Amino acid sequence: MGNFLFTNPVVFMKTLRKWSRILHRDIGFFFIGTSLIYGLSGIALNHLKDWNPNYAVEQIEFKTDIPLEKNTDIKDNIQALLKDIDASARYKQHYYPQKDVIKIFLSGGSSVIVDLKTGDGYAEFLNKRWLFYHSNYLHYNPNVWWMWFSDLFAGALILFAVTSFFMVRGNKGIIGWGGFYTALGIIIPLVFLFVLL
Amino acid sequence: MKKFIVFFSILALFTACGDAPQKAEAVSEDKPLLTLADFNAEAGNWIDKEIQIQGIVDHVCKHGGKRLFLVDDFGDVHIDGEERFDDALTGSQILVTGIIRELRIDEAYCLQMEADHIQKHKEGVDSKDVYESKMKHIQQYRDSMQSAGVDHLSFYNIDYVSHEIK
Repeated sequence: MGNFLFTNPVVFMKTLRKWSRILHRDIGFFFIGTSLIYGLSGIALNHLKDWNPNYAVEQIEFKTDIPLEKNTDIKDNIQALLKDIDASARYKQHYYPQKDVIKIFLSGGSSVIVDLKTGDGYAEFLNKRWLFYHSNYLHYNPNVWWMWFSDLFAGALILFAVTSFFMVRGNKGIIGWGGFYTALGIIIPLVFLFVLL
Repeated sequence: MKKFIVFFSILALFTACGDAPQKAEAVSEDKPLLTLADFNAEAGNWIDKEIQIQGIVDHVCKHGGKRLFLVDDFGDVHIDGEERFDDALTGSQILVTGIIRELRIDEAYCLQMEADHIQKHKEGVDSKDVYESKMKHIQQYRDSMQSAGVDHLSFYNIDYVSHEIK
């Protein structure tokens, strides 16, 4: 291999360019879906402070005089309450985190909390954000097999970076404008590190 | 055609081998069944041992999803897993099999935490407010030990093994 590089550098570079393009293209196609998953969820999770990336949350406050203390009619009373605040709400479970507070769980992760003394209530309805919820779920590494697959994807990203060096010749390649953009792409994160660390 | 068959076989292998992180298991008669009401009193007898406990999933931790909060009218406990819990467990009544772990806080622990907080504050990692809040927390531990007349405090959580939805 070393001999081939030094005795036939032109042929070597030609072969390297050819295989860089092939690998970049075909592995790139394979990981289009994964790239979209991580790209979308990356943007979503980057802004965790600003929004809930998995659920659209609707909060309502209400007042009720339906008795919700512990007794044999509690489930019927809960159903009556749910009809008042949201007819589509489906009861799942309930418990009393404090003596005068009931927390009611609904399907889909929604919940209702009521102060038994005052009748003041607060409901939180969660709706999954289509696409974001599912891509975030994968981004969080739900199991070990996905973890290994995403390691492969990370390795592929490194491969894309390396093959980019060799794919294009001349003025638009790494010795021309490509080199300028590469340097810029490295300097920007370094500046952030220098400023923030 | 052959390439398609090979490709989809590999894809099927990935998806078929993807275990759900939580495994359902039948109720076992070997493991003691604790209640949330008695958990703090009984947990000390079962440290590093497998037990079962039933409750409602109040929520799955938003950050990381590897902790859930199990509750009922009389008590609560944190359940820690190695993989993410499914959000859909929220509100479900589950029977958890897990191993009780103890976090023991004594004077040595308090001194170590203090040293860590001082270091972090010195390095600028923690602001003054955060630093003071953390130091106040440590003092609360000391006050609790003193008022209870003990040389350590024990906090218990459960390492998740499996669960069954009731």
